[in-house]
Amino acid sequence: MSRDAHLYAFPAAALALLALPFFIANEFYLKVMFLVGVYYLAAAGFNVLVGYAGQKSLGHAGLYAAGAYTAALLTAKLGWNPWVAFVAAGIVAGAFGIVIALPSLRVKGPSLAMVTIGFGIVMEKIATEWTEVFGGQAGIHSVKPLSLGTAPFAMRDWVLFVVVLGLIAHLLMRSLLSGKYGRAFLAVHTAEVAAESVGVSVYRFKVLAFIVSAVTCGLAGALVAQQNQYINSDFITFGLSIFFLLVVLFGGGGSIYGPLLGAIVLTMLDAFLARWPHLQHFVYGALLLFALYAMPDGLAGAMRALGRRLLPKLYERPPVPTAVAEWQLQRSEQLHKEAPLLEAKGLYKAYGGVVPTNDVSIVIKTGHVHSLIGPNGAGKTTLLNILSGIVPPDRGTIGFNGVDTTELVSNQICRLGIGRTFQNLKLFADMTVLDNVLLGLHPHMDVGFWPCMLGLRSASRQEREARDEALRILDFLGLLDRANEIAGDLPYGVQRRLEMARALATHPKLLLLDEPAAGLNPQETHELIGVIARIRDKGITVLLIEHHMDLVMAISDHVIVLDYGAKIAEGAPAQVQADPRVIAAYLGAETEEPAAAPLPRPAVA
Amino acid sequence: MKLCRSLAAALAALALACSVSLAGAQDIKIGYNSDQSGGGAAEHGLSGRFGVEAAIEDINKAGGLLGRKVVLVNRDDTGQPPKSIQNMNELIDSEKVVAVIGPTNSGNALAWLHLPQQKKVPVISHVATATEITKRYEKEAKNYIFRVSMVDREQVALLAAYAVKASKTKKIALIADSTGYGQGGVKDATEILKLHGVTPVANEKFQPKDTDMTSQLAKIRTSGADVLIVYALADANANLMKSMEKVNFFPVTVGSWANLATPFVNIAGKKLAENLIFAASVTETSNERAKALNARILAKEKNLPIFVCAAQGYDSMTILAAAIKKAGSTDGEKIRDALEAVDGVQGIIKTYNKPFSKTDHEGLGVADFRLAKWKDGRVVDFEDAIAKSLTPADLKK
Amino acid sequence: MEAILQAVLSGLALGGVYALVALGFNITNNTTKTLNFGQGEFLVAGAFIGVTLVLVLSGKGHTGVLQPEDVTIVKYLTGLAAILVVLSVLGVFLYYTAVRPFVGAAGLAWVMSTIGFGIIVQNTALGIWGPAPLAIPSPLGNEVIRIAGAGVLPQEILIFVVSIVVMVALDLVLRKTKIGKAVRAVAHNKNAAALMGINVPAIVILAFVVSSCLAGLGGLLIAPVTTASVFMGLVLALKAFSAAIIGGLDNPRGCILGGFLLGLIESLIGLWHAELREISIFVLIIVVLVFKPEGLLGRKIAEKV
Repeated sequence: MSRDAHLYAFPAAALALLALPFFIANEFYLKVMFLVGVYYLAAAGFNVLVGYAGQKSLGHAGLYAAGAYTAALLTAKLGWNPWVAFVAAGIVAGAFGIVIALPSLRVKGPSLAMVTIGFGIVMEKIATEWTEVFGGQAGIHSVKPLSLGTAPFAMRDWVLFVVVLGLIAHLLMRSLLSGKYGRAFLAVHTAEVAAESVGVSVYRFKVLAFIVSAVTCGLAGALVAQQNQYINSDFITFGLSIFFLLVVLFGGGGSIYGPLLGAIVLTMLDAFLARWPHLQHFVYGALLLFALYAMPDGLAGAMRALGRRLLPKLYERPPVPTAVAEWQLQRSEQLHKEAPLLEAKGLYKAYGGVVPTNDVSIVIKTGHVHSLIGPNGAGKTTLLNILSGIVPPDRGTIGFNGVDTTELVSNQICRLGIGRTFQNLKLFADMTVLDNVLLGLHPHMDVGFWPCMLGLRSASRQEREARDEALRILDFLGLLDRANEIAGDLPYGVQRRLEMARALATHPKLLLLDEPAAGLNPQETHELIGVIARIRDKGITVLLIEHHMDLVMAISDHVIVLDYGAKIAEGAPAQVQADPRVIAAYLGAETEEPAAAPLPRPAVA
Repeated sequence: MKLCRSLAAALAALALACSVSLAGAQDIKIGYNSDQSGGGAAEHGLSGRFGVEAAIEDINKAGGLLGRKVVLVNRDDTGQPPKSIQNMNELIDSEKVVAVIGPTNSGNALAWLHLPQQKKVPVISHVATATEITKRYEKEAKNYIFRVSMVDREQVALLAAYAVKASKTKKIALIADSTGYGQGGVKDATEILKLHGVTPVANEKFQPKDTDMTSQLAKIRTSGADVLIVYALADANANLMKSMEKVNFFPVTVGSWANLATPFVNIAGKKLAENLIFAASVTETSNERAKALNARILAKEKNLPIFVCAAQGYDSMTILAAAIKKAGSTDGEKIRDALEAVDGVQGIIKTYNKPFSKTDHEGLGVADFRLAKWKDGRVVDFEDAIAKSLTPADLKK
Repeated sequence: MEAILQAVLSGLALGGVYALVALGFNITNNTTKTLNFGQGEFLVAGAFIGVTLVLVLSGKGHTGVLQPEDVTIVKYLTGLAAILVVLSVLGVFLYYTAVRPFVGAAGLAWVMSTIGFGIIVQNTALGIWGPAPLAIPSPLGNEVIRIAGAGVLPQEILIFVVSIVVMVALDLVLRKTKIGKAVRAVAHNKNAAALMGINVPAIVILAFVVSSCLAGLGGLLIAPVTTASVFMGLVLALKAFSAAIIGGLDNPRGCILGGFLLGLIESLIGLWHAELREISIFVLIIVVLVFKPEGLLGRKIAEKV
């Protein structure tokens, strides 16, 4: 929803929700409303993990348990103030979020499902079996409810409290997810390697997503324990974990309103179909089975599609200006031209019997355009992967701008100033062109977690500045008019340019381009020469892998040749062109006639 | 956003439609909140409901209560406490029932007891046997929770008395499931055995759905016990019997009324089932009224898994009706007071003469229980020399 | 000592069932990268259909009670035949409604849809048979066999033997027959297999049929030991899934190894501290996955950058 629409809609909705409890006298309906709020709260945070960061956890009942039992034990056994206990529940649950995050970082897909399921079941079993502490199935009684003054909360008070919490959660999530953090989470979901290459630490963001989801699920558990004044191990089931997942997926992951819609529909179904348990289970099953088929983006996605058609103004993105200022690359430190920028010594990498990188040493000079050529399978991409931190070398060192980067990971190397594009495009295909470039600016947006979540002025200011710069970068590469298009819908050649734009946004000192001309027609290849020249003129050093010899010859200051993992030649383009070892590598060892102008291998289109 | 709100409005309308009760405005609503499909105790819940419905049919045939028709509002809690709590909320706040009969699972009762107590709605537990259920609010001015069922304390009193006399070495072991039911039974057993001067030599646990208890039995055998008190549901008990066969260890085994359920003999087989002695009260052949009720329910429902639950359900409803008549109103507090005063009510199990008092909310006691066992696929009374020698003094509780 | 032997024997029997179900997961995962999260309910369906058929053949209603003499080997095998037929149909149905629409779609929609399918199957079973467990005596009798002091039921031996036989048979089929090669081809690369003239949709359907039948067979085998109840599916399937993940979801032998391993560990830990059984298994699983995310026998897949 556009910002202006939200500015009017939110206060209206807030007032309506706060007034609603006063019009409902039936306490059962109030209880249902309370439960809707509780599940919304849990889902709002869980959405960050599942919908945005894409980590499907099937064990969040364990975090709900952490919050519920913390609140229960602190108030019933230790006599703490229920408000303090409530807050503590969130903190303890957040800590458990880290516990479940750590093993989950290394696994994907079904293994991730298994780790989270295991976590959920272990928490459930601890609550059931460790009866001295947790009371098992007998549970913990006399959990103290929240109260204002001397009177404990009545049902209506609980509903109001949960509405307030829900409104706050909505605002916090909205502001957190609409800027830098939202984009970073989505990047982690879509393409982890690409996210790392633009300075997003996948590790930190996954842990962060787990913590956020853990805190809200824990608070939800605490609310239920305190409202019931009772908790026992039967509340913690695998079914509850599935329910959380269902609320987010059915409501629509990756949308701020998804959790709300999911919580409302599913909680009400649960409550009002309770009198017909068989029908209720059947509806659940059918919902799971068919809803995702009819609405793959959940209720929120379906409503958004409908809304776009009926009320397009509500969903408009801010318009793109037709002309922007020229992009200036600001540098905090000036680099000396001709000085060595990157020095790699003796790099060695082996995969079993295959050695793609065999004792390679190269020097990249500041301000120059270097090309890396060689037959297919020579180890060019592997070298790039080592330099950009995706693959650690078995032996050797890399020094970049005075820093030893041999042991560093991708996102750290990006922040030091190496940007790259990929041979197999790794765009964030579901995001807009503008958002892709904004992600490139991620390492230079230093606004922290709390300012983003609280929507402070510093965050919105930085977002605005970033947007302006992103537009200028798009303009630099001739993509300005496509800013609001979805990256995945673009033609191939334009996509390649977008990836370059994204890499430029990281303000690289050294830009690594992996076959930038692959798949381009001769006209586009020719234009690419100009683009690379302009990039060099901005003060960016370039290293590119290429097979198109005309491009290599036209643009390079220095050419390095690899074959079977080893460097066999380097020097000025003409020099390398005439080198007999290079000719032998491309054409084979025995050649009857010495070729005057060696024909390169045809480029693999 | 507008669409979200119209959706919310549509859902609210749907909700309101769902909430319109099928009962007329003048009918007296009795709530029924039990496990009827969840698992272990579902058969108890279903049988109980058949009994309650039969009683209501009889009451309405005789002209209803206070000139009004009685209607049962049925909710299935599937054995889950959160669901059971939600059902109580719905029954009390939304359906505005006059009283509630239920639940089956003791754990569920313990979870929502404070609700009817705070809202002043009388509850009669027709199945759930955990001792604490009626004891929790004992000290309050008015306790709203009653029971017509085989309360664990009294059952254990009988079992412990037999166990102590039957044990030659005075080494008695306990084994139970990990639920509130099993562990509550273990607590009662430990306390009562102490009154007999006996400390259990082993206390083993298993999951309600476990099928292999051989390791627990091995430990019990090592402890030297020759009598075993088991507290769990029918299917688990049956698997315990099978496990005993596997390890070839057959101590004298006594258990709760849960073993009346047919799954016990179906799973363990006729031969093994005979190894367990358990507490029982009424059976379908105990008296003429029982026979009639059994035949009647079978004709209507085709299957009555646990007769005693139906009998207890019938009697709970009958006593409740008597109290409502005595109170002359549907006010919760008045009905509660009347329950403590009601007298001379003819039920299936027996005639209830002042079943409840201020200090005693148990409709049935150990005097109504006896020992039974399965023989050749049928439940028969069990009387051996030890059982015959039991006196009221032995029944310490 | 005999207690340990007892635990090992029971563990192997239980492990056999886990292995069968885990193998089912492996087959569909390899061919479609999906698995049936409702597999537990298929196991239940198998158990109930088998029991019902024996009941019907013994002249009793579908909720009747079976006496040991009712369950003959012939009736048991007829029950198996019925299971194979019904579960094949169910497997095909599952594929078309819950899997095919979501294969390749982003997100884990197929997880939810197969769970949903399982819920519907469970509720249908609940409606037909009710919540009570259905007991079926073993066709091989209930006399405990003593091996070095430890007692084992003939049914447990049957489970172990049948699982091994089925697994060896499937392994042979996969490796030595033409159709087995086709399945492996589809598992490796669907498009390439199609280009080679392999009828990929048929193979995929076959995968789901075999997977569902394995679950049904597992249900029939375990029913005499643990009693068939509408609710027994979820825990069994979860454990079988864990077994597959530990062993390596993409490796059939890994899944089998995982199944037996899990059964043994569960049984032995149960001997030591019964209540820690499940906790230790799942903690173990998490630890294994942290160090070997692809499972013990799984293959590490490197992403091409």
